[in-house]
Amino acid sequence: MLLTGQDNEKAVIKELMKTIGSERSELIPLLLAYQDEFGYVSEFAMQYIADQLKIPANEVYGVATFFHFINKQPKGKFIIRLSRDMSSIMKGAKSVARQLRNDLGIRIGETTPDGMFTLEWTSCIGMNYQAPAMMVNNEVFSNLTPPMVHRIIEECRQEVRTRRPTVGNVGETFSSILSYSSHAPNSALTRAVEEMTPVDVASELTVSGLKGRGGAGFPTGVKWSLASKAEGDVKYIICNADEGEPGTFKDRVLLGKYADLVFEGMTLAGYAVGAREGIVYLRYEYTHLRPHLEAVLEARRQANLLGENILGKDGFCFDIRIHMGAGAYVCGEETALIESLEGRRGEPRNRPPYPVEKGLHGRPTVVNNVETLATASCIIARGVNWFTSIGTERSKGFKLFSVSGDCERPGVYELPWGMTVRQLLELVDGVGAKAVQVGGYTGELVPASQFDRVMGYEDLGIGGSIIVYGQGRDMLEVAENYLEFFVEESCGQCTGCRIGNQKLLDGVRLLQKGTCSNRYLNDLIGLSHSIKSTSKCGLGQASPNVFVAINEHFKEEIMARPVLAA
Amino acid sequence: MNDKPMQTATHSHSTFIPGPDAAMIDISIDGIELKVAQGTSILDAARQVGVRIPTLCHHDDLCTAGVCRICVVEVEGARTLQASCATPVTQPISVKTNTPKVRSARRHIIDLLLAEHYGDCNTCKRNNNCELQSLAAEYGVDFYRFGHPTEPKYAIDRSSPSIVRDMNKCVLCRRCVRACEELQGVGCLTVASRSSRAHVATFASKPLANVVCINCGQCINHCPTGALTELDQTDEVWTMIEDPTKHVVIQTAPSPRAGMGECFGLEPGTPVTQQLNTALKRVGFDAVFDTNHTADLTIIEEGTELILRLYKALVEKDESVKLPQFTSCSPGWVKYMEHFHTNRLDHLSSAKSPQQMFGSLLKTYYAEKKGVDPADMVVVALMPCTAKKFECNRPEMNSSGFKDVDYGLTTRELAGMIKESGIDLPKLPEAPFDAPFGEASGAGAIFGATGGVMEAALRSVIEMVTGKQVEDFYDHANILPVRGIEGARLAEIPITEVGPVPDLLKHLVPNWDWLKGATLKVGVVHGTANAKQVMEDIEAGGPFSECHFIEFMACPGGCLGGGGQPIPTSPEIRAKRSQAIYQIDANYAVRKSHENPMVLQLYQEFLTDGPCGHISHHHLHTHYQARGKFIG
Ligand SMILES: Cc1cc2nc3c(=O)[nH]c(=O)nc-3n(C[C@H](O)[C@H](O)[C@H](O)COP(=O)(O)O)c2cc1C
Ligand code: SF4
Ligand code: FES
Repeated sequence: MLLTGQDNEKAVIKELMKTIGSERSELIPLLLAYQDEFGYVSEFAMQYIADQLKIPANEVYGVATFFHFINKQPKGKFIIRLSRDMSSIMKGAKSVARQLRNDLGIRIGETTPDGMFTLEWTSCIGMNYQAPAMMVNNEVFSNLTPPMVHRIIEECRQEVRTRRPTVGNVGETFSSILSYSSHAPNSALTRAVEEMTPVDVASELTVSGLKGRGGAGFPTGVKWSLASKAEGDVKYIICNADEGEPGTFKDRVLLGKYADLVFEGMTLAGYAVGAREGIVYLRYEYTHLRPHLEAVLEARRQANLLGENILGKDGFCFDIRIHMGAGAYVCGEETALIESLEGRRGEPRNRPPYPVEKGLHGRPTVVNNVETLATASCIIARGVNWFTSIGTERSKGFKLFSVSGDCERPGVYELPWGMTVRQLLELVDGVGAKAVQVGGYTGELVPASQFDRVMGYEDLGIGGSIIVYGQGRDMLEVAENYLEFFVEESCGQCTGCRIGNQKLLDGVRLLQKGTCSNRYLNDLIGLSHSIKSTSKCGLGQASPNVFVAINEHFKEEIMARPVLAA
Repeated sequence: MNDKPMQTATHSHSTFIPGPDAAMIDISIDGIELKVAQGTSILDAARQVGVRIPTLCHHDDLCTAGVCRICVVEVEGARTLQASCATPVTQPISVKTNTPKVRSARRHIIDLLLAEHYGDCNTCKRNNNCELQSLAAEYGVDFYRFGHPTEPKYAIDRSSPSIVRDMNKCVLCRRCVRACEELQGVGCLTVASRSSRAHVATFASKPLANVVCINCGQCINHCPTGALTELDQTDEVWTMIEDPTKHVVIQTAPSPRAGMGECFGLEPGTPVTQQLNTALKRVGFDAVFDTNHTADLTIIEEGTELILRLYKALVEKDESVKLPQFTSCSPGWVKYMEHFHTNRLDHLSSAKSPQQMFGSLLKTYYAEKKGVDPADMVVVALMPCTAKKFECNRPEMNSSGFKDVDYGLTTRELAGMIKESGIDLPKLPEAPFDAPFGEASGAGAIFGATGGVMEAALRSVIEMVTGKQVEDFYDHANILPVRGIEGARLAEIPITEVGPVPDLLKHLVPNWDWLKGATLKVGVVHGTANAKQVMEDIEAGGPFSECHFIEFMACPGGCLGGGGQPIPTSPEIRAKRSQAIYQIDANYAVRKSHENPMVLQLYQEFLTDGPCGHISHHHLHTHYQARGKFIG
């Protein structure tokens, strides 16, 4: 029987619902899966999915328009997304973009008339150490140069002709991750199951002093124990693999090389908290990791490291599934992540209540960063003393740093807490830098005069992204790039974050043109403080940092733009 | 006050309603010590001690959003300022609401909103009744610190016959989105896109007229600015009034009388019926009529329809008869049914709404009596409702051979006309309604409040069936079991005795014996989100499916909380308007629809084959259209 267009769409949606599910929480996976079939999500599909999920069609529209990677219109067969993080810009992303425009004959945001290529900028894709980088559909190409672009485009055309899958082109990431590579597989889980009560696991982590590696630095043991004490039979463990902070790629390396360690950590958390379900929230940009992760999960199930009565322990049941993000930096924020897991726009929630009390579906939920979970496995395996012997008084243990920018040896480094910025620069050969961004765009811009500052919770206790800026770098360009990112990625709820960041960006552009009055600059600094103090989540609370920092440390530079010919 | 939806709405942001056994917690606000129930928001706590914290996205009718951030305060020990509307008190805290940091943050937020707000206060409908304007004044905004748009970003959407959307004035407080979703269960509006591109949108950003909108106007009532307004038809009405060849009459619904005073500085709940009559005459209407007459007529027609359905179902065992019967006088509710419950359209009474019945009678019965050509007659309806504008434009509403009702004006639009005429409403002398209709009944008046239609119907049904006085069963004919504010409620009315069938109905049923000992089960529902849940209950065979008759009103509180009523609205304001309505009822000489002499006269002179007869069917009944949810 010949199906009409809409009947066909209906049939596909019904079929997808059979495997994916027909709950509201499956909305985003459904949209993505539908898009895999049709290339974009049509208005009819949105309405039909809404009808099936018993929600207003307009809610689906609201969700679909929130996420970058849900196409509301047909796009090219190949969607080229060029990373716009600062490391990429520094390494020539703009010339690559120009070459792509030239070769494809379209502007950014457009699709070629033959429907083959769409060209877009995207936020950081976690390839900063091999910048510039881009994604072609789900494949990543790094260390790009303008001449390479031609070859990649040709390969894509070839692929269509020969039905060969595109194979990404990514070099090996330099990494020094000693503790993880020497971890005896599943030794933590075995120890927990054999020797420890759930309470022991959480308290041992508390004693270890491990703090969350996702940025906020909340003590992990305390988090687990709060969730374990929270009322409710259904609890969740979420592994936050949204890694959207520009300049960060350590979670990707971890998931690529040490996925077992991460899943072991999740399983430990499930044991400690009494949860049966774990979810990996994997950013869309890491779709290429998914087959590998699924294989690891399946192997763990086979080995009874997941499933019922794990390792023979009666009643210890836990399994893990993977949920794909759809392109939104803010969904790394734990409550926004939970909203999107529930099939809503990724907008951070009001707190309290915190996820440990009321998280996913209103149930107690632990959200932990990938690295936190892997580290927890190491600690439970080797004991607290091993961990606390590393690091400083207030910052125990070690941390992974993603290093990129103007240095000779970018990559992922496992380092003890307590190093100075200067020592780090020596290690990665970025000596002579003008400034270093510590902790990603939401972190701190540290000028050369402060390179003796210590990386640890007592001082620069923030996430693990390090971007090195060499002497020639223009700090206004840096600020412009950061603010473009925040303007794009703000969820748009809070007045300050939604409108204020745009005003700061406009201000940077006035400075670039040399047309900003001192008075207005002061107004913008005042505004920066108000944005930080009134915003609901860490994005708005940190987005003005760079504006404040360039004023504090580089005032001479930013106020002394060359005078343009009148 | 609990006319909120029966359960919390679908979205996951929280509300702060402490449970009955919540612990009491000591807190200090600006040095004032107090105890509040755990879980109370800082905002509510501050209100308890008279500390004013400005708000914008907060609305007493809606779940907490915490998005505008204007209500921030300093909480000792917190790193950042906290949004007082969205922060529950969970432990002893010390709060400061008036510090330089707080004032500067609030001022910045207002500056930023103004930097995006395109529009001119002088040309805005909400001039002098705009929360953004008030905030700007309160915080001493004396220049546009971060600029001010010089061009619109969005085209104004005037496609809907009821609602105009000018998103250039939107402050993204999301109150309309929440009203549409939480109060009305429609979900016509959403926030689309994100970042600085975030905006309130209809599905796929289509014109409002083309999407699933029930025209109730709750979005307007909850908007703090002029971004949402009714489609203003006052200019057209002025033109008609000025045209000497036109006979322009106005019918006025009960709720505007209870609300209009608010537009003239009176306390909510101050009825202005008789002054309003004077004002309308001075504005220039040729005659002023009381819509309550056709409310009374609705009771007879709808009540007869119910009796016929019951008779067919119970006596004739006709299984095709649909019960419960649903009221059909709320056009928002009717359109809701046409979109969402197309399988149950035949539960809706076929009786037209009072507005439309009156239109049809005016252009036929009245036109003839008065000797005016209906072609030269203009019927205006003063309604608390924006959906009435849509209703009067329904193509099928032309049983007089003309458009039965030409214009539906909201309470707010008419207040504007009165002001424009230089009239100070509260100071006017009183005037009666015009002949030939004169005064109607109190039963018609209570149509304005939730439960009113049901009470009016019961007053008549009880008397017609038992042959006794309602007062014999209910003091002062106040049928309290159907009054109240809960979003959905059930009542049972036992019929212990029966009397003779009154003349009006003799041709329809032989006797009442079949009702003796029966219990009439009725439901009363207001707010479409509650209606949605009741419909789900009916689909699931729950208690509402066992009802014989259910009153549905699209808006919270019924018509008195309609989308055309004065702004602001809140549970308190609606409660006061409701008191006014019941007070109006109590003051009527006639308080039962079937005793309204005009109604009886109509059946004698015009609708001569009686209730639900052919003539009445032609003029007073209608049909519905399955619209569905899918739009092309
Ligand atoms: C805007 C924003 C983005 C974030 N992105 C991430 C992220 O990509 N990965 C992550 O683990 N945590 C991210 N976080 C922090 C999470 O909210 C949360 O604190 C963290 O996942 C908790 O895990 P941890 O305790 O193991 O660090 C982000 C926070 C904010 C405010
Ligand atoms: S701070 Fe920004 S990103 Fe965070 S909730 Fe507010 S608007 Fe959204
Ligand atoms: S009123 Fe509290 S955030 Fe808007």
